Amino acid sequence: MPRLTVEKPKDSKKAFRLFLGSLKSFRLTIVFALIFALVTNVLTLFTPKLLGNMTNSAVADLSAGNSIDFAPIRQVVLQLIVIYLIVAVLTYFEHYLLARATAFYTKHLRESIIQKISRLPVSYFDQHQFGDTLSILSNDVDTLWNTLTDGLTQILSSLTTIVGCTVMMFVISPLLALVAIIVVPISVFIISKITKPAQAHFKSQRAALGKLNSHIEEDYTGHLIIKSNSHESRSLAAFRETNTQLFEDSWRANFESSMAFPVVHFFTNLGYVAICVLGGSLVLSERLLIGNVQAFIQYLSRFNQPLSNLSQIVVTIQETLAAAERVFGFLEEPEELPDPANAKRITSVKGAVEFHDVSFSYNKQTPVINHFSAKIEPGMQVAIVGPTGAGKTTLINLLMRFYDPDSGYITIDGVPTSEMRRSDVRALFGMVLQDTWLFSGTIKDNLAYGSPKATLRDIKRSATSTGIAHLIESLKGGYSAEISEDSDNISAGEKQLLTITRAMLENPPMMILDEATSNVDTCAEQLIQDAFDQLTKGRTSFVIAHRLSTIRHADLILVIKDGNIVEQGTHESLLQRHGFYAELYNSQFSED
Amino acid sequence: MLKLLRFLKPYWWQTILLLLSVAAQVWCSLQLPALMAGIVNDGIVPGNLPFIYSTGLVMLGYTLATVFFAVVTHFFSARVGAAFSRDLREAVYRKVLSFSVAEIDKFSTASLITRTTNDISQVQQAIMMMLSMMLRAPLMGIGAIIQAFRTAPDMTWILALGVGLIFVFATIILALAIPKFKLYQTLIDRITLLARENLTGLRVIRAFNNQSKEQQKFAKANDALTRNSLFIDKVMSFQDPLISLVFNGVTILVIWTGLTHLETDLSYLGNMMAFVQYASHVLISFLMVTILFVILPRASVSASRLNAVFETKNKIVWKPKTTGTPDVAPSVEFRHVSFSYPGAEENVLTDISFRAKAGETTAFIGSTGSGKSTLISLVPRFYEATSGEVLVDGIDVKDYAAEDLMRRIGYVPQKGLLFAGDVSSNISFGNEFATASDLVHAATVAQAKPFIEKLDKTYLAHIAQGGANVSG
Repeated sequence: MPRLTVEKPKDSKKAFRLFLGSLKSFRLTIVFALIFALVTNVLTLFTPKLLGNMTNSAVADLSAGNSIDFAPIRQVVLQLIVIYLIVAVLTYFEHYLLARATAFYTKHLRESIIQKISRLPVSYFDQHQFGDTLSILSNDVDTLWNTLTDGLTQILSSLTTIVGCTVMMFVISPLLALVAIIVVPISVFIISKITKPAQAHFKSQRAALGKLNSHIEEDYTGHLIIKSNSHESRSLAAFRETNTQLFEDSWRANFESSMAFPVVHFFTNLGYVAICVLGGSLVLSERLLIGNVQAFIQYLSRFNQPLSNLSQIVVTIQETLAAAERVFGFLEEPEELPDPANAKRITSVKGAVEFHDVSFSYNKQTPVINHFSAKIEPGMQVAIVGPTGAGKTTLINLLMRFYDPDSGYITIDGVPTSEMRRSDVRALFGMVLQDTWLFSGTIKDNLAYGSPKATLRDIKRSATSTGIAHLIESLKGGYSAEISEDSDNISAGEKQLLTITRAMLENPPMMILDEATSNVDTCAEQLIQDAFDQLTKGRTSFVIAHRLSTIRHADLILVIKDGNIVEQGTHESLLQRHGFYAELYNSQFSED
Repeated sequence: MLKLLRFLKPYWWQTILLLLSVAAQVWCSLQLPALMAGIVNDGIVPGNLPFIYSTGLVMLGYTLATVFFAVVTHFFSARVGAAFSRDLREAVYRKVLSFSVAEIDKFSTASLITRTTNDISQVQQAIMMMLSMMLRAPLMGIGAIIQAFRTAPDMTWILALGVGLIFVFATIILALAIPKFKLYQTLIDRITLLARENLTGLRVIRAFNNQSKEQQKFAKANDALTRNSLFIDKVMSFQDPLISLVFNGVTILVIWTGLTHLETDLSYLGNMMAFVQYASHVLISFLMVTILFVILPRASVSASRLNAVFETKNKIVWKPKTTGTPDVAPSVEFRHVSFSYPGAEENVLTDISFRAKAGETTAFIGSTGSGKSTLISLVPRFYEATSGEVLVDGIDVKDYAAEDLMRRIGYVPQKGLLFAGDVSSNISFGNEFATASDLVHAATVAQAKPFIEKLDKTYLAHIAQGGANVSG
C-alpha cells in the first residue's frame, strides 16, 4: 500500500546526525542485530547453490551411467540443515534484539517529550498547536519505531541480497547474469515513468482529504445550526462534491502507483523465461550444469524481490529523517530559563504585590503592557477590568511567571519574583481559570489535585462551601465518580464550580480568578461570590471579570485599556469620575 | 467488519470482474513452473532445442497475459476500494446529520469526527488490502496446491506437512499475541490521553506545581505500553525464523525425494524443480492469510465504532409533510410538558404549561442546571418532551416537517459559531434565496452592519474555519 504522504526533511544531514546520536545507548544492540542480519543473509545466499549441487551430483552420476551415490548428497543436506538452523536462531535474536532496543528507545523518547513539555515556556504552546506536539509524540515516534524494527534490516537485507545474488549469478554464468541484470535499469526507468502521474494525484488526494476533514469537523461542530437552519441538503451537496473529488484522486493515485507491480512482475517473468530458454540451450551445449540453472532461477527470484522495494526504501528513509527532524527539533526547543541558583524564598507571606514599571509584549512589535506600576497592599481584593485584548490575562501570566516581563519587575513582599524559583512563586497563588481543566480520574482526585494530603472530609467541606456537594453526591459513585476533560455528564458551570473547589481546598496565601464566573449563571455566581468573599478575606486576590457587577466591592479596581492603566480606585470613586470605567459599567447595565 | 461489506453491494459486478481477473492472473502465472518443467524434461534431457524455444514463446505469452490481468485487477481494486470508502463516508456523514442532539451527545462531537475521518481510513486500508492482496493469496495457495499435486502427486505429503506445521505455528503465535495486540490499542489511547491532558492543562498543572506528578502518571502508562510491546516482540520474533525453517525443510525434502526418483524416471528432474516453486507459492500464500489476522483486529475496532453510529436509532423522527394548518399569529405553547435526559431518573422539567403570543418577549430565569436551555431546546425539537405537548403556531412540533418548523424559528446559540466561507454565506445560511438587500437589512437589525462594513471586503470578507478571524 503506497503511503499518502512523502515528507522530506529540511536538513537531512542534521536530522541523520541527531537520530544517530540519540541511538547511542542502543548502539551495541543494534550493531549486533545488524551483524546477525548480515550473517544470515550471507549464509542463505549459499543455499540455492548447495541445492543445485545436489542435483548436479545426481545428474552427473546418472549421465555417467551409474546409479546415484547418495553419500555426497547427504553431506550437502547436512550442511544445509546446519545453515538453516543457524539462520533461524540468528534471525530470532536479530528480531528480538532490535524490537527490544526499539521498545526501550521509543519509551525513552516519549518520556523525553513529556518532560520537555513541562520544561518549555508557556509561550511555546501559545504559538504552536497542541495537535502538532501530539503528532510528534504519536506519529513521529511511531515512524522511528517502524524504521528501527523493520526498515533498518530491510534496507540491509535488500542491499546484501542484491549484491550477493549478483555475485552468485555471475559465478554461475556471466552470460545469464548479464541477461538477468540488463532488465533492471529498463524496468526501473519504466516504473519511474509510469508512476510519475501518481505523485500529482497523491498530492491532490491529500488536499481533498484535508478539505473534506475540515468540512466534517465544521459541520459536526455546527450541527445544531445546520439543523435549525434546515441547511442539511446544501451541506450534503458540498460534502458530496469534495467526497467525489477525493474518490477521483484516490483511485487514480492508487491505480497509477500500483502499476509498478505489474511492471516488476513482467520483467521478473521475462527474465525467468529468458533464463529457462537460454539456460536450457547452454545445458544442451554442455556449457552449464542443470543444477546450476535450478540455482540460478532461485537467485533470480530473490534478486527481484528487493528491487520492487527500492523505491519504498527511499520513501522510508525520507520519512524517518523528517520524523527525526521534528522529534529532535522539538527536544531542542529553548527551555524556560533556569531558576536562579540561590533563589530567595518567602517563608511567611503577607501578600504585598507590587508591579514596578513593567512592560511586556508577546511579539516585539505590539506592546501589550506599557510601563505598568501598581502597589497592592496585603489582603486587598484587586479587580482587573477592561475591554478584550487590553492585557488583563497578560498581567496574570506575568504574576504567575508563565511569561517574564521585557522590562521592569514584580515583587511579592518586596522580593522580586524573578529571584525566586518559579514553583515557589506559583505555590503562593491559587488559580481558577476560564478554561475548566479537569483530568480524567475521580472527582476526589481532581479536587485534591493541589492538596494531596487532603482527607475526604476536607474535600467534602470545601465542596459544601462552594455549593457543589449536592451535585457530586447525586452522581453515580459520588466523590469516586470518574470524570474527564471532555466529560459530558457535568455542565460547564458545574466544572467551573469544581475548579473553584479545587483552588479552595489548596488554601493558598493568594488567589487569582480569571473570568472564573463567566460560565456560571447569576444565581450560581452569587453562590461562588459568597464562598470567594469568605476565602479572599485577609488574602490578596486578583479577579478578572467581564461582568462588573461581581467586582463592585473590590478594594482596588484597575482599569486597563491598550496596555495602560487608565484609571484605578474603588467602584464608587471610579463611577464619580465619569471616565472609562463609568462608561463600561453603564454600557453593561443598559445591556442587562 | 463484515457488516460494512454491504457497501460493496453496488459494485458487485466490478467485484466479480476483479475476482475473475485475479483468478486469471493467478492461473497464468501458475503455468510458468509447469512449462519450465517441460523445458527440462522434454527439451534439455532429450536435447530438443526447438522445443525449448517454442515453450519459451508460450511462457512469454502467459507472462504478457499475467501483466494484462494484473493491470485489470489493480484498476478494479483501486476503483472499488475508493468507491467503497466514498459511499461509507457519505453514509456516516448523512447519518450524523440526521442525528438529534441526544444522539450527538451520546457519542460526543469529537468522537463522531474521529469516526468519520480516522476510523473510515482504517477500514478503507483494510478493504483495499483485502481487495488486492487477500483475494489473491487464497486463490494462489489453492491453485498452487492443485498444480503441485498434478506435477508430482507422491510429493504432496511434503506440502501438506509444511502447510500443517505453518498452520500450527501461526495459530500458537497469534493466539498468544492477538490479545496483546488488542491491549496495545488501549495502552496507546491512554498515552495519547495523558499527553493531551498535559498540553490542555499546561497552566493549571504549572500553577499547582504538579509537573512531576503528571510525569509519574505518564511514566506508569509508558511502562505498561513498553512491557506489552516487549511481550508481543518476544512472541512475534518467532514467526519469521519458524516459517523459514519450515519452508527450507520442505525444499530439502522435495529435492531429496525427487533425486531418489530420478533413477527410475528422468522426467522427475523438471517436476522436482517446478514443485519447489509451487511449494513456495503455497507457503507464501498461507503466510499472507495469517497477516490478515493481525490487520483485521485493528480495522474491526474501527468498523465496530462505525457500526455503532449506523445502529443508533434516531429518537426523533420527522413527518415528511406538516399535518394541519398553522395559525396565522405566531405563538409557542407548552402543555403539561415534562422532560428528563436519556438515562436520568429525575425530571429536569416537570409539568410546564405556558403560552407565548406574537410580539411578546418571554424571559426564563433560573439558576444553572434549572433547565432554561433545556426548555428552549424543546421548541426546535432538539430534544423530545418526555410527556406533554409543545405547540408552535398551534401545531404540535411532532406534526411538523423539519424544514417547516425550522423556518418558523430563529435560534441564536450560546457559542457564536461561524462556517468557513464569507460573511454573506454565513448570514444567508438559513435562507439560500436571500438577496443582497435582505442581507444588509438583516445585518442592520442585528447591529452587525457597522462592523461588517469596516471589514476589508465587507460582505465578501473571508471567514476562517470556526470564525477564528472575527471576535466573539
